[in-house]
Amino acid sequence: MSEALELGSGTRKISELIVRVPLASCTLAAGASKVLESIEKALGKLGLEARVKKTGCMGLCYLDPWIELESRGLPPTIYANVKPEQAEGIIRRYVEGDLSGALAVRSEASGFKGVPTLNSLPEWRLQVRYVSRNCGFIDPESIEDYLRTGGYSGLKKALKLGREEVIEIVRKSGLRGRGGAGFPTWYKWRVAYEQRSDVKYVICNGDEGDPGAFMNRLLAESDPHRVLEGLIIAGYAIGASRGYIFVRAEKPLMADRLEVAVRQARDYGFLGEKILGTDFSFDVEVYRSAGAFVCGEETALIAAIEGRSRPRQRPPYPATSGLWGKPTVINNVETLAHVATIFQTGLDEFTKYGTERSKGTKMFCVTGSVRKTGVYEVPIGTKIRTLVYELAGGPPDGRSVKAVQVGGPSGGCIPADLLDLELDYETLQSYGAIMGSGGLVVIDNTNCMVDVAKYFITFTLAESCGKCLPCRVGVKVLGDILEKVASGTATLEDLELLRELGESIMRSSLCALGGTAPNPVLSTLRYFKNEYEEHVVMRRCPAKVCSRLVTYEIDPARCRGCGQCAKNCPVSAISGQPGKAFKIDTSRCTKCGQCLIICPFGAVVKG
Amino acid sequence: MVKVYVNNNEVEVSQDALVIDAVEKAGYEVPTLCYLKGLFNEATCRICVVKVNGKVVPSCRFPVFEGARIIVDDSELRRLRRVNLELLLATHEIKCWSCVRKGMCELLSLSKRLGVEGIPVCSECPLRGRSCLVLKGFPCLGPLTVAGCDAECPRRGSPCIGCRGYIMSEDVWVRALEEFYKDNVSLNELKSLISFFWSYLPQNLYRLVREVSNVEY
Repeated sequence: MSEALELGSGTRKISELIVRVPLASCTLAAGASKVLESIEKALGKLGLEARVKKTGCMGLCYLDPWIELESRGLPPTIYANVKPEQAEGIIRRYVEGDLSGALAVRSEASGFKGVPTLNSLPEWRLQVRYVSRNCGFIDPESIEDYLRTGGYSGLKKALKLGREEVIEIVRKSGLRGRGGAGFPTWYKWRVAYEQRSDVKYVICNGDEGDPGAFMNRLLAESDPHRVLEGLIIAGYAIGASRGYIFVRAEKPLMADRLEVAVRQARDYGFLGEKILGTDFSFDVEVYRSAGAFVCGEETALIAAIEGRSRPRQRPPYPATSGLWGKPTVINNVETLAHVATIFQTGLDEFTKYGTERSKGTKMFCVTGSVRKTGVYEVPIGTKIRTLVYELAGGPPDGRSVKAVQVGGPSGGCIPADLLDLELDYETLQSYGAIMGSGGLVVIDNTNCMVDVAKYFITFTLAESCGKCLPCRVGVKVLGDILEKVASGTATLEDLELLRELGESIMRSSLCALGGTAPNPVLSTLRYFKNEYEEHVVMRRCPAKVCSRLVTYEIDPARCRGCGQCAKNCPVSAISGQPGKAFKIDTSRCTKCGQCLIICPFGAVVKG
Repeated sequence: MVKVYVNNNEVEVSQDALVIDAVEKAGYEVPTLCYLKGLFNEATCRICVVKVNGKVVPSCRFPVFEGARIIVDDSELRRLRRVNLELLLATHEIKCWSCVRKGMCELLSLSKRLGVEGIPVCSECPLRGRSCLVLKGFPCLGPLTVAGCDAECPRRGSPCIGCRGYIMSEDVWVRALEEFYKDNVSLNELKSLISFFWSYLPQNLYRLVREVSNVEY
């Protein structure tokens, strides 16, 4: 990866610098564009000649915005959480050979001047960067960068093989869909390949909508050509003539980068008529979805491209009758990137990771109550504990992990005592969760599980398309019962009803959205039944989150009578005289929690 | 032609038939709601669910295949149908007395068939050309009485006194009480009306009547 060393064959000045600045949605939100501006200003001021490379994101979100400096004689060095005003100092010190303040150096040799290597950081060492290998290193808007890292060599290999051989390779790899259900990729391809039809389609499903999942966005923004290459290989394998990349409209940068990639691939002859001299012709269109969660479901996705919007009953499956009634293969962004990488690196490199039944690696987004939020690529079968504690650094001080929500709103909660479970499709399913797209939301002891279930049900309720009855009404009723539990008016029969209704919805819904929607409720009910019962029987929320069951009081021993709480109370429920302990009128209190935030002496207590 | 097994009875149907066709050919019946043969089979109501090789599928949409083992009715399917129907009724305003269909609709006949409770008596009082007693201003208890008597009394012009007992659902009570007070039924009148079960009312309904009446009078 040390480009400066490769390029600088004595003709360039020692001081020639390469500055890598990540520009993806996440780093831009953290202020990378301002950092970029200040870097350009600083370079002018210091009189340095440098190449500023706009790369994608590494996936270590807690470091954003980071920059990487590389120069001859010095190892490539990463600086984390860079503020615009720090840029000048960092560059000046780096050029002088002073690496103080750096996070890590990206080199194989052991530490350089006291700065650790990137590989010595657990969050990097424990990862297997297989499909995300280029994320954060190459310029996503440059096809040359991708070609330099072996890009499109997979396509070239695939085009030399017959279609059946390509499918056979994917079958041997044991690759399973990375979008959620874990359906064997080769099987879909095989079925679509065997259909007799003059027109076939392949679709890349980039409609990633789970709260807390962003690996597809990261992959497509940082390495769009890899996704595109996988799509072209899939198109070749089934004999498709046209491909679509379905991207959420909420992710404009992802769509833009993919469009740039499609244009560049066309210029280089990887798309279009007679690709690379073969008789295979293929073109790709980036389709911007209107942005509904249900469009991630494959029949709804097809309907969205056709201009309608709702899922339909399967069968017929899309592989036999999909877009415009033609055989269609739909694969997730990450699945297709895996396909491209498998063809680039060969089978063994892929199959050496993973478990017996699920091979390879998977990207997981770890968010919630952890120190190091980010996207981590690990072999399938890695323990949840490794991911949460070693890679993501565990919860902040003074908190403990209560549960991990795996798979977003369709997944379930895995309680803390089951953290030694291995992350693979079957294990998670048997414990009431699903792999989903791979979002892990860590829930700590300050969260109420009823509230968590309510949050996810509110999400699915808003995203339900309303076509079939169980999902449209059943999820609403689930939400109503949860609301009753949270406000302490439920009975024990209601809990039984929750479980029964949830199971019925899962059994009889039309599509996967309704079929998995009750998962958060059922799994929290399964593992945290005592917490539900405490809400119902004791009328108490143990985590003190459900506002209807919480009371606010002022501890007279600690109150100094400053009156700040009374001044800020929106409903004037606090009264008292300056200098003496104040009091909250519980009948008027709306439990907004303002007084708790404002009190400088910590005298307001939740009870 | 393909061979399928409906409740272990062998039936032959054409290749592009639906599961519901096979079931009907075998002489069984599946309750349906949204399915209109040849016109609409989007499988949205999920009432017609059956089991094909152990998997719950909507019979009005699912195609048959060779050797499919179809189960039309078992305890789980009955539960699923009931739950789905109850869900539909949960969002449905059962105001049969002011509905244009006057209680003669698919939904109510299906609920009766599947034994779903919470349907008022007035739903089974097809009025045979006369207008509803509640709408005429009579204090008829049909709207909050459990169905199942085939409602002879209101049809003959005598207001229902609720001898089948009250409906437990609060929502139904709220709606019915609103309707009564619109027609100026006084609290005393109401009390004497529901004297049949006044002392047996559960706390929540008792409170409800008090609350509603206190606000109005």
